[in-house]
Amino acid sequence: MATTTLNPAAPAYRSGLYSWLTTTDHKKIGIMYLVNSIVFFVAGGSLAMVVRLELAQPGMQFVSEAFYNQAFTMHASFMLFLFVIPILAGFGNYVVPLMIGAPDMAFPRINALSFWLLPLGGLLMASGFLVSGGAAASGWTEYPPLSGAQFSGTGTDLWIMGLTLIGTSSILGAINFLVTIFKMRAPGVTLFRMPIMVWTVLVTSVLVLMATPVLTSALIMLFIDRNYGGHFFDPANGGNPVLYQNVFWFYSHPAVYIMILPAMGIISEILPVFSRKPLFGYKAFIFATVCIGALGFSVWAHHMFTTGAVFLPFFSLMTFLIAVPTGVKMFNWIATMWRGKLSFDTPLLYAVGFLTMFLIGGINGAFSAAVPVDFAIHDTYWVVAHIHYVLFGGSVFAIFGGIYYWFPKMTGRMLNETLGKVQFVIMFVGFNLTFFPMHQLGLAGMPRRIADYSASAGWSELNLVATIGGFVIAASLLPFFWNVLISLRNGKIAGDDPWGGNTLEWATTSPPPAYNFDHLPEIRSERPVFDARYGRTAGH
Amino acid sequence: MSMPPRSRTGSGPLVAGLIIVIVVAVVVSVLAAAGITPERAWNSFFPVGGATPATDRGVATRSLYNIVFFIGATIFVIVEVMIVFTVFRYRRKPGDETLPAQTHGNNLVEVIWTAIPTAIVLFLFVLSWQTLNTVEAKAVSDVHVRAVAARFQWRFDYLDANGATIFSQALPVGPDGGLTLPVGEPVTVTLKSEDVIHAFYVPKFLFKRDAVPGRDNTFSFTVEEPGTYRGQCAELCGAYHGSMVFEVHALPKADFETWLKTQVDKANATPAPLPSGAAGPTVELTAKNVAYTANTLEAPANTAFTIHFVNADAGVPHNVEIKDSAGKSAFKGEIITGQAETTYAVPALAAGTYTFACTVHPNMTGTLTVQ
Amino acid sequence: MTADADATAPIPAHALTIHTEAIDGHGSGGVGTPVLGMLLFIVSEVMFFAGLFAAYFTLRAGYTEVVNGTIQHVWPPTQYADLLNPFTLRTESGALNVILPATIILVISSFTCQMGVWAIRRDDHKGFVRSIAVTVVLGATFLLLQAFDYSVLMSEGLTMGSTTFGTTYFTLTGFHGAHVFGGVLMLSVVLYRGMAGQFTSKHYDMVEATSLYWHFVDIVWIFLFSILYLAPLLGRGA
Repeated sequence: MATTTLNPAAPAYRSGLYSWLTTTDHKKIGIMYLVNSIVFFVAGGSLAMVVRLELAQPGMQFVSEAFYNQAFTMHASFMLFLFVIPILAGFGNYVVPLMIGAPDMAFPRINALSFWLLPLGGLLMASGFLVSGGAAASGWTEYPPLSGAQFSGTGTDLWIMGLTLIGTSSILGAINFLVTIFKMRAPGVTLFRMPIMVWTVLVTSVLVLMATPVLTSALIMLFIDRNYGGHFFDPANGGNPVLYQNVFWFYSHPAVYIMILPAMGIISEILPVFSRKPLFGYKAFIFATVCIGALGFSVWAHHMFTTGAVFLPFFSLMTFLIAVPTGVKMFNWIATMWRGKLSFDTPLLYAVGFLTMFLIGGINGAFSAAVPVDFAIHDTYWVVAHIHYVLFGGSVFAIFGGIYYWFPKMTGRMLNETLGKVQFVIMFVGFNLTFFPMHQLGLAGMPRRIADYSASAGWSELNLVATIGGFVIAASLLPFFWNVLISLRNGKIAGDDPWGGNTLEWATTSPPPAYNFDHLPEIRSERPVFDARYGRTAGH
Repeated sequence: MSMPPRSRTGSGPLVAGLIIVIVVAVVVSVLAAAGITPERAWNSFFPVGGATPATDRGVATRSLYNIVFFIGATIFVIVEVMIVFTVFRYRRKPGDETLPAQTHGNNLVEVIWTAIPTAIVLFLFVLSWQTLNTVEAKAVSDVHVRAVAARFQWRFDYLDANGATIFSQALPVGPDGGLTLPVGEPVTVTLKSEDVIHAFYVPKFLFKRDAVPGRDNTFSFTVEEPGTYRGQCAELCGAYHGSMVFEVHALPKADFETWLKTQVDKANATPAPLPSGAAGPTVELTAKNVAYTANTLEAPANTAFTIHFVNADAGVPHNVEIKDSAGKSAFKGEIITGQAETTYAVPALAAGTYTFACTVHPNMTGTLTVQ
Repeated sequence: MTADADATAPIPAHALTIHTEAIDGHGSGGVGTPVLGMLLFIVSEVMFFAGLFAAYFTLRAGYTEVVNGTIQHVWPPTQYADLLNPFTLRTESGALNVILPATIILVISSFTCQMGVWAIRRDDHKGFVRSIAVTVVLGATFLLLQAFDYSVLMSEGLTMGSTTFGTTYFTLTGFHGAHVFGGVLMLSVVLYRGMAGQFTSKHYDMVEATSLYWHFVDIVWIFLFSILYLAPLLGRGA
């Protein structure tokens, strides 16, 4: 039979713009997800700096109250819908087919569509800044009647339309992930040999599939009220503003698990590799992930305790219970490191940062589960502290860990370790400086979403500290971008497996060829590359 | 296969530890220099700086908070110590390429660290449910106030036993304004909104409740300590959400009853006749979108003059108050609800610089130059 | 496997033989990839309608009218009570009430669609094309009847702004109609490709997927018809 000479090491991605615009390769699409998400991370971060600059001192120094409201609304909208959720989908896109030994996703063209809906939806949302009345300004939650036609302008309609596209992108991606995982695993990759990253993407995709359409229905109802004379949320005509909150949070609470589960998956990949031990309690992990996904659908009204329209004990109980599987994961991660041999490369630093900071976010969230305490801290800066400890201290740290971990696989080059460590330290310090004082501010009575506060309130010093912290976070991104630039050009060549990895993506070249694998090692556990490296009998 | 050299792990965590110690030392020094004593720092972890809550139910909430805090803090310390210990104790020695024992898991341990957290959260749930029943209990009370939220101010309607308004307080702050209540008596508040969702929040009560249009939310409490308590809207309601402040004045019961009777009498009395004819020159001023359209005004010194005041904000109360450079009130115009206009007869003022502001919305200010 | 393997060495035979089961999605047995994708898509659509139905039931439960001087909970609102009775052939002003025929047509179209699937499974190409063509026509007819019905209701005074009843009615039926429209488009593509001979008994995933979608659309309509049209007949104030 004819033999062909194929170069197993794929060339670096220097193919032209056209090939990127038309690609259906999950690896290129994954990278585009990452790049688009980082762009919106910077945009969302800039808006956060506007907020922090204005709040540093009492008095309105820089922007109007109306613009301030647009700033925090779009900050959150960009960060949640155009950064955290898509970048985790991007990691999933890149890594899941490789980890299961598949050549691509199940529906490559729909995969491309899922990606391109994102910059389109993002631009639609952002275009609100250009219309009269400005961008959406009723908070990322956009509660009516404030978000209704009487009080909000065209920017809100653009926000709704953009978010509908982004939601569609998510749902199509979820279908793709689920079909890929169920139908395209290589021989030997049974469900209980899949890496935890794949499991978290699986459960996340179920959440996306079932929750995001409910958000779409809420957005459509809001749009109909705003533009077609509907009365869904209009109390003067039989409508119910609390209805919006229920439908909205039915999605938005599972959304926070959509934002954290793949991040937990990344941590679950990094810790075993850098501890040189398997993940402790693999099956317990899967069980905990499934429990979090299921319980996540039962807690939504804990965002609405102060409306007076919620059956409080049920939602309080479910909210307390969801702490249990989360705690189980925390202990399993620590047990993975326990008696391991830890090597402190940047990915592990971010993983440890995740553990220490996400713990705080989990604990301060438990306060809100106690309903009377929530009556005191709801809609104050305590909640802002909580969300940033879980989303930044949790998801963002995991995301940076994932970037440092998989950049070599994606580009064939290592990121500079020293710059990575510098970034981590500055970011860790800046993050805590910004968000820890918000616990105090919330307890002292500072509400959320206020453009200004009185000098006599006693909140000035902590706000100044938080703003300084914000600048430190911004500064920490400089070594990061510099690192990416110089490493793309001159980084050390990574080779197939620079970290001594466990999972299948390390069984092929860096970057992988278009079809992913020339051949696969024997797959008998969730660590096929580890098994191949050490032989199945090595302490297994 | 060739791999790039791995991190020389031996000293890594020590360097990290050193950096953390330095940062913590800097933070502690800065705090100390700023006058934050350890006691104040500790108190900052508790609602309203550790002060005793002003209501009976607030005290119950504080007790619950304390328990959640101590359990949370204990878990925090234990787990963080475990992480830090693990990170230091199990770092790889440079050059060590051997594998540690490849432990996959331990079912007993999984059961233990599932069962114990479950027990803890169930305990917290039961405790918080009990406290909730205390906080939500409806009291039988003689004092019934309807708090009406609108963009961007609060109004407090005092109701009689049949729910009719006997006195309406349009000023949300100040000695002449705010929500005045008796100490030691149960009070019932019904929240209403005239437009968007607002929230009634008094930090010292450790309590807030939403004001949802189309829905009446009612709650009760008893203020235990006389004093003035800050309150603020806690649900985003638009551009001036941050300005929507109010005060609660808690008076001893007898003083409250005297105060209420005075207000009711004033409200029932025939209004004083308006001064006839406009005196002196007229200054034009309009309030629109919760702001004055002019920030600077001029008026002649030592001459009575008139302010022709137009309130262009439908449904929103505004007025004009003039204060001298020492902050003393030189003139306070009657509050009118837009859209409306009125003429204020301002008495002669000595030359100088004054500020004018809206009593309802302290963020609306301007400068009056009298010369 | 090593990265430094000689880049010019010939690829071994077993690596050149690509097994396509993983890509085709038929390797692991069970449901095919396109059909699984469609089933998951239908799950997401069910959740979308669930959100709309949740709104419907919430607003219905909260709707009150002043009846004989007292506030009472009624549904539908008194002025629209008889508008949606599917069994009255003509409305008060004499216009035709076509919703019952439209429902029957849509249900029949599900049967004809399934007949098309059975036909292609046994390679009966003529029968397949015939059944799908009939399904397309029936689907389009449903849409036309629905549009006519809308015009009648609007002329009788029921619009999007006619209390929460009008809002929920038009939103639910409108989005259902949009889904029917999408289904008619998909069926047309199936018809076109079928007429071009692209389907065989071994290769008809798209037909199967489209028929699943069409059945879903029909089932949603049965729910809508029962809840919006039939349930109020059981007694007002439900």
